[in-house]
Amino acid sequence: MKTAIPVENGDTLTAVRGFLQKLLETGTVEALFVPLEVDGGAILPALVTDPERTRLANPLAPVMPINSARAVSALTGKQAPARIGAVLRPCEIRALVELVKLQQATLEGVTLIGIDCPGTFELPDYVVKKRSGGASLAEYLAGAKEGSEPGLDGLQARPACRMCLNPVPEHSAIHLELIGVDTAQGIPVTMTDEIATKLGMTETRLPGAEGRQAAVDRLVAARTQTREKELAAIQAQMHANGGLASLFATCIRCHNCMTACPICYCKTCLFKSASFDHQPEHYLNAARRKGAVRMLSDAILFQVTRMNHMSASCVNCGMCTSACPSDIPVGTIFSAIGSQVQAAFEYVPGRSLEEPLPLVTFRESEWTEVGEAK
Amino acid sequence: MTDTNSFEPRIVAFLCNWCTYTGADLAGTSRLQYPPNVRIIRTMCSSAVDPVYVLKPLMDGADGVLIGGCHPGDCHYQTGNYKTRRRFVALQEILKSTGIDERRIWLRWISASEGQIFANTMTEMVGAIKELGPNPARENWTI
Repeated sequence: MKTAIPVENGDTLTAVRGFLQKLLETGTVEALFVPLEVDGGAILPALVTDPERTRLANPLAPVMPINSARAVSALTGKQAPARIGAVLRPCEIRALVELVKLQQATLEGVTLIGIDCPGTFELPDYVVKKRSGGASLAEYLAGAKEGSEPGLDGLQARPACRMCLNPVPEHSAIHLELIGVDTAQGIPVTMTDEIATKLGMTETRLPGAEGRQAAVDRLVAARTQTREKELAAIQAQMHANGGLASLFATCIRCHNCMTACPICYCKTCLFKSASFDHQPEHYLNAARRKGAVRMLSDAILFQVTRMNHMSASCVNCGMCTSACPSDIPVGTIFSAIGSQVQAAFEYVPGRSLEEPLPLVTFRESEWTEVGEAK
Repeated sequence: MTDTNSFEPRIVAFLCNWCTYTGADLAGTSRLQYPPNVRIIRTMCSSAVDPVYVLKPLMDGADGVLIGGCHPGDCHYQTGNYKTRRRFVALQEILKSTGIDERRIWLRWISASEGQIFANTMTEMVGAIKELGPNPARENWTI
């Protein structure tokens, strides 16, 4: 059902908070996963059961401290302990769909509340601006209305967001629109009839709804261009002489990219195990063989292995780039690789719960030439 | 630099216990001649070879990696080799897009009775890798 959250005095955030409070008060959900504001300007993802606490909720803040699909995985496991509502961005929902298929989360008993995402900024940048009284939400939402690339007092959105082709969430039971709509007047919401009845919301059409699709298209068109340009640049770098090694030359193998990645779920990563802890002689032999050996061994092996393990499910959330202390464009590299792998298997991560993961399924009739003598 | 004429490729082969390893064994017991450039590692199934074990030797300077498994439909574990095939396709894509020469990795279905085919495959692979020349990673210490 198409309905709308009324907004008073142009205060969109208060209206959203009121809506979230109602979800808890009506028992539509028993607990709500949503980012809360804390003193000092930061935003923390939290699980809320007390409706009063929703007055701190701020799912509109243009930051993404973590890809919350991981949090939903922790909150649901094999079976959600209660009716949980999860307020998520589109890339978080797509990552969650992948985690469900990887059997790391369930959507049973989970109400997905998706909000349009015009783009996010690096968390530390946002906090600094917020503390100095900047980072105006009204400005951010006004930009979203136009379908233009958001800015944060002169700073650009995270690189992954500037290349994001999916600003509109899918799979959500409740969907709040921000792009191409005047959210100072009201927030258009699409929800299931069942939830609408519980909340006592009725069919509502806000004026000016016809501009929405054009704004979404404008944003996606601009980002398609950025994405193509960035991916081509990364491909060129990878194919240059010593490309991969030079791209990852500053990698300190801290595993931050893996830790921040919503898809990398293994409890014990091979690279955190002793598998590649070699005997001292191994390094000496390698040095003798090559003349010298990088003493942060297996850094490239780690990266390329991760490409093999998760790039089919990469949802381009760019958390890896944000987590990298060495400013390596990890997310762009993985987007470039991921798009090749996904194209080969005609797989779109996060698209469908039914579509099997490409590496756990097969068809007898495919790639029949592979493995045969030429 | 290694002289191309005297270049002897080092090839690491992961062979499935049920088919290709037995095929290699047959090649040996039948006294078939094939180039001695291969170091064989026996695995229970070709699908047990995680890409990391293909990448590790490549980055350490091996000139080629062969994965050997049962013919499609003949997998001892029913469908392992079909999954190997998909994983191999993904690995090829990733090597292609990262600028690593994907022609250094081979996948071949060789059954337990195909000793001659194993020997032929090794001859063919050593020839092909000789043409590619030594793996640049042999000398690249930054990898």
